[in-house]
Amino acid sequence: MEDNKIALDVKDLRIRYKCLNMFSIRRSFFTFKKANEIVFEAVRGVSFSVKKGEILGIVGKNGSGKSTMLRALAGIFSADEGSIDLHGNSVSLLSIGVGFQRELTGRENIVLSGMLLGFSEEQVRAKMDEIIAFAELGEFIDMPVRTYSSGMHSKLAFSITAILESDIMLIDEVLSVGDSKFKKKSYNKMKELISDNNRTVVIVSHVSETLQELCTRVMWLHDGEIRMIGTPEQVLPLYEDFMS
Amino acid sequence: MMTRFINDMKKYFSYAKYSAKSDLKSEVASSYLNWLWWVLDPLLFMMVYTFIAVIVFRSKIEYFPVFVFIGLTLWNFFNKNVQGSVKMVRQNSSIVSKVYIPKYILILQKMLENGFKMLISFGLVGIMMVLYRVPVTWRIIYVLPILVVLVLLTFGLSCIVLHFGVFVDDLHNVMMVILRMLFYLSGIFYSIGDRLEEPFRSLLLYCNPMSMLIECTRNCMLYCTLPYRKMLAVWGLISFILCTIGIRLIYSYENSYVKVM
Repeated sequence: MEDNKIALDVKDLRIRYKCLNMFSIRRSFFTFKKANEIVFEAVRGVSFSVKKGEILGIVGKNGSGKSTMLRALAGIFSADEGSIDLHGNSVSLLSIGVGFQRELTGRENIVLSGMLLGFSEEQVRAKMDEIIAFAELGEFIDMPVRTYSSGMHSKLAFSITAILESDIMLIDEVLSVGDSKFKKKSYNKMKELISDNNRTVVIVSHVSETLQELCTRVMWLHDGEIRMIGTPEQVLPLYEDFMS
Repeated sequence: MMTRFINDMKKYFSYAKYSAKSDLKSEVASSYLNWLWWVLDPLLFMMVYTFIAVIVFRSKIEYFPVFVFIGLTLWNFFNKNVQGSVKMVRQNSSIVSKVYIPKYILILQKMLENGFKMLISFGLVGIMMVLYRVPVTWRIIYVLPILVVLVLLTFGLSCIVLHFGVFVDDLHNVMMVILRMLFYLSGIFYSIGDRLEEPFRSLLLYCNPMSMLIECTRNCMLYCTLPYRKMLAVWGLISFILCTIGIRLIYSYENSYVKVM
């Protein structure tokens, strides 16, 4: 690849959850001792960078900080320490069930989600037909989202983020969306999106085969720290060994 | 902070507008009678308060139903927004945990919705004023600055309440009591000016922004007098400061909201 521009820079990232019980006025009247604050550090000093066009897979057992890190990359969390530099790229988090307003129709939710991802109403409307066609919801597209089955819900969510393209895509276990037909289709769409040399992708998944096939690099997170980072051939066998 | 606020407003205002519009639309679509409730709700409450005030307490206020209606219109806007913002972040957790959005945009969206309903309510006030043959002068123009102060005040307080609502579990109950008390102290179905003696009269009229705003609106719409312009300016300034505090609070803490939920 000719341009080696870095799309994403993470330096010594630390994210903490304060397991503070929610303050309650009623409780504070009846208890006199101060609630002891438990701080849990989900991501502990992770540094890496992703080049433009690269596809980074993240593996790790449950609770190893994968999703937390994706959310931080998407700008939902701020880093407690360290920094995340997106170099001005637009970023979207593709995860099961993007925030939908339950009472609104699918069509309206497409516009709203698109606008939340930083697109203008016209831009979303221009892509509307494509999204609807891809989501295969039929007449449900004009029904309130609360009437959707969970499969339809995730199909719509996937279609919105897949078709409204951003520079950096963060994917959280989304390859298992819908029935087997849609799964195949979304998998192909994913591959098509990923094969675009301008797009940078970060995928979190538990399925080694997917990562093996899609990723150019794999990072293994363990208890919030990088255990290993390298090509899929290097990392995945060791990870499999560790998990079994 | 100011530039960030302006940039974010430019970026997300269209979202708030679209979201408010589709919310209103879905409210109408889910039942044909729903939009009727936007009208019926204040109308019925007006009848209740008119009954109590005129029959039970023998109030002798001129144009009493319109008088109550104006009070309710302003109060409902304020009350719904402030009360709604307590649980705003939790109710929108599906959005908040998936994508970054300045959290006051959620308030703005609700304010646009409630503002639309307030305008309908004001339309009814207009109709009632015609029916009661209320004389109107140019002083009715003062309604505009009053509404500006009301919007600023509501936005500022809502931002602050939204912030604390995330961290304080039972703020909902507390706010309910406070707002109910404020409701009775705002002179919605009685006239503070006529009913109370000094020092309570000035205290309630000038230190409670809602009663001040309601009284001003009535003065310039119904009784062709001038509103308390100095107090209006003072409360406009205070509201502006509240907005700044609220926005600053949200900007510095909004990233930790998701972690608490």
